[in-house]
Amino acid sequence: DLKDSCRMNVPKSGYRVFSANSSAACTELAKKITERLGVEMGKSVVFQESNRETRVDVKESVRGQTIFIIQTIPRDVNTAIMELLIMAYALKTSCAKNIIGVIPYFPYSKQCKMRKRGSIVCKLLASMLAKSGLTHIITMDLHQKEIQGFFGFPVDNLRASPYLIQYIQEEIPDYRNAIIVAKSPAAAKRAQSYAERLRLGLAVIHGEAQCSESDMADGRHSPPSVRNTTGHTGLELPLMMAKEKPPITVVGDVGGRIAIIVDDIIDDVGDFVAAAEILKERGAYKIYIMATHGLLSADAPRLIEESAIDEVVVTNTVPHEVQKLQCPKIKTVDVSMILAEAIRRIHNGESMAYLFRNITVDD
Amino acid sequence: MPNIKIFSGSSHPDLSQKIADRLGLELGKVVTKKFSNQETCVEIGESVRGEDVYIVQSGCGEINDNLMELLIMINACKIASASRVTAVIPCFPYARQDKKDKSFFDIPVDNLYAEPAVLKWIKENILEWKNCIIVSPDAGGAKRVTSIADRLNVDFALIHKERKKANEVDRMVLVGDVTDRVAILVDDMADTCGTICHAADKLISAGATRVYAILTHGIFSGPAISRINNACFEAVVVTNTIPQEEKMKHCSKIQVIDISMILAEAIRRTHNGESVSYLFSHVPL
Repeated sequence: DLKDSCRMNVPKSGYRVFSANSSAACTELAKKITERLGVEMGKSVVFQESNRETRVDVKESVRGQTIFIIQTIPRDVNTAIMELLIMAYALKTSCAKNIIGVIPYFPYSKQCKMRKRGSIVCKLLASMLAKSGLTHIITMDLHQKEIQGFFGFPVDNLRASPYLIQYIQEEIPDYRNAIIVAKSPAAAKRAQSYAERLRLGLAVIHGEAQCSESDMADGRHSPPSVRNTTGHTGLELPLMMAKEKPPITVVGDVGGRIAIIVDDIIDDVGDFVAAAEILKERGAYKIYIMATHGLLSADAPRLIEESAIDEVVVTNTVPHEVQKLQCPKIKTVDVSMILAEAIRRIHNGESMAYLFRNITVDD
Repeated sequence: MPNIKIFSGSSHPDLSQKIADRLGLELGKVVTKKFSNQETCVEIGESVRGEDVYIVQSGCGEINDNLMELLIMINACKIASASRVTAVIPCFPYARQDKKDKSFFDIPVDNLYAEPAVLKWIKENILEWKNCIIVSPDAGGAKRVTSIADRLNVDFALIHKERKKANEVDRMVLVGDVTDRVAILVDDMADTCGTICHAADKLISAGATRVYAILTHGIFSGPAISRINNACFEAVVVTNTIPQEEKMKHCSKIQVIDISMILAEAIRRTHNGESVSYLFSHVPL
C-alpha cells in the first residue's frame, strides 16, 4: 500500500530493525533507536511458553534484507541470549542477507579469562552467536577489548564516554574542582582517559577490598604464589613471593574536591561503597559514580542509598527502572542516538570514524 | 570402571544420583551457581584430563538456564582435556519446535526408548492388561502405540481431530472400540494436558471401564495439574526424565516409572564400546 510505505519510511535498499526481547522494559531502548532512525520496528512475536521454552516468530519477509536485531540483556540473561540466538537463526534460515546484532551490554564479558577448570563462557557465547547467523555485532564498552578477537566477524565497540563526559560538564556545577578516581588499579586506564579529556587530576584506590571474584586467578596464567608442600624433586623453580594485600589507600589527593569514580560496569556495589567511604575520609566533599552499564544487582539500590555516594550515573544500555524507583540517587543518560547513528552508518556503508573522534587509546 | 566421570547439572540431581548409584560411582565434584547478575558460573572440582565424561542435564524447569549450564559444563570439560564428553539429556528441550531427528546433529546421537520400561509397568500394575486397549491421543502417535500393542498382544485405538468447517472447533473422533475395556493412553509428552484430558472423557463416554495415561516426559506446565485432578484418570504415569516430586504433592494420580537403569546401562555400554541397541527392547534389571 503506497500510503503505508510512505509513512513507514523504509529505505528502498531494505533494512529492518527487530527486537528479540520478550519483556517490555527491555524494548524501551529499541523503541528509542527506531524512533531516531525514523523506521518502524520489524514485526515479530517473542515469548516464553508455559513450559519455559522460548518461542520466536518473525512475522514478515526478510529475504535478501539487512537485519539489525537489538537485544537488551536483563536479569534473565540466559533467556535473553536464547531469544537472540533463535531470532538470528530464524532470520538466517529465512534468507536474510546480513544479520547484525546490536547488543549494547555484552553478557558474560566478565567470564572472558580462564579460571580454575572453568569455561571461557564469553568465547563459547561468541561461537554460538556466530553459528546462529550473526555476521556483525555492535556493542558498547566491552569489559575487555580483547573479546573482539573471539569473533570471526566485525565487532564495533562503541563508547559511552562522550555522553558521560557531557553529563559531567553540564550537570555537575563544580566539575572543574573534581578529580577522576579509579576504584582499583585495573580501572586506572579508563579513569586516565576521562581525566585527560576533562583536564582534571587522577587518583587511584588500591588495597584490601579490591579482590573481586571474577578476577580471581589461579596458577594457570601467573607463577604460583605459594610453594606446594608436596613438591616434586627435579626441576627447582624459584619461589615466588606471596602477594601482600596492603590496607586500602588512595594514591592522589582528593582533599576538598568532588570525586568522580568511573568504571564500565556497576553491578555488585560493595567495592564502590567502600571506595566512597575512603574518599570521604580523605576529604572529598561529593562522590559521583559514572558507569556505562548499570546492572545494579541484588541489594545495590539500598546499599547506594545508605552510602556516602551522592549520585550514580549510568546509561540506558541495561534496563534499571526498578532500581531507580528504589534509589533516587540513580540517574540515566540516553545513548540511543549513538546506537542509531551506528546502525545508519553501517547500513549506508559510511565511515564509523566520526563516532570515535573523541576517544583516546585507553578508553 | 576406570577413566569415567559423571557430572550432574542442576536440573535433575536426583536422577543423576540414581544413575551414579546404579553404576557404582560417585558423582563428580562440580559447583554450579549464578552470579548476582544471574550469569551462570560453572567450576569443575576435579581433574577430567583423559577421562570419558558424561554430563546429565534434563531440558526441564528453567530451560534456557539449564541449557546454558550444560553448554558451559561441556565447554569446561573440553578445555580441561577430557578425552570425550557425552551429554545425557533425558528430556530434550525444544523438541517440538524442531524434530529431534538424528540427521539434525553432526555428532552421534543415541535416542533411547522408554517403551521396555512402559511395558514392564503395564504388566506389573494393571491386572487386566491382557484385555486392555492401547490408545493414541492423536494420529501422529499411531506407530508408537501399535508397537506397544503388538508386544502385549492387545488391540489399539486412536483419536483423531476432525475439523468439519473452517470456524468450527475440532471434533475428536475415536477410531476403534473401547467398550468394557481398560484403556491406556500412550504419548511421548504431557505439557498442558488439554488433549489427553479430552481424550480420557471421550474414552469413558465410549464405554471404557478405566483410563490410564502413560507419558514419557511429564512437563505438566500451566493448568496441567488442575486439569488432571478434574479428569477421570485412574492414574497418570510418567517417567522420571523430569523431576516429579513437587507435582506429586498436588496430584495423587501421578505415578513415576524410574528409568535411571536404562540411562545407566546406556552410559556403561557406551563407555565399554558395547552396543546400545540391546536397550531398545530390554529393560536392565
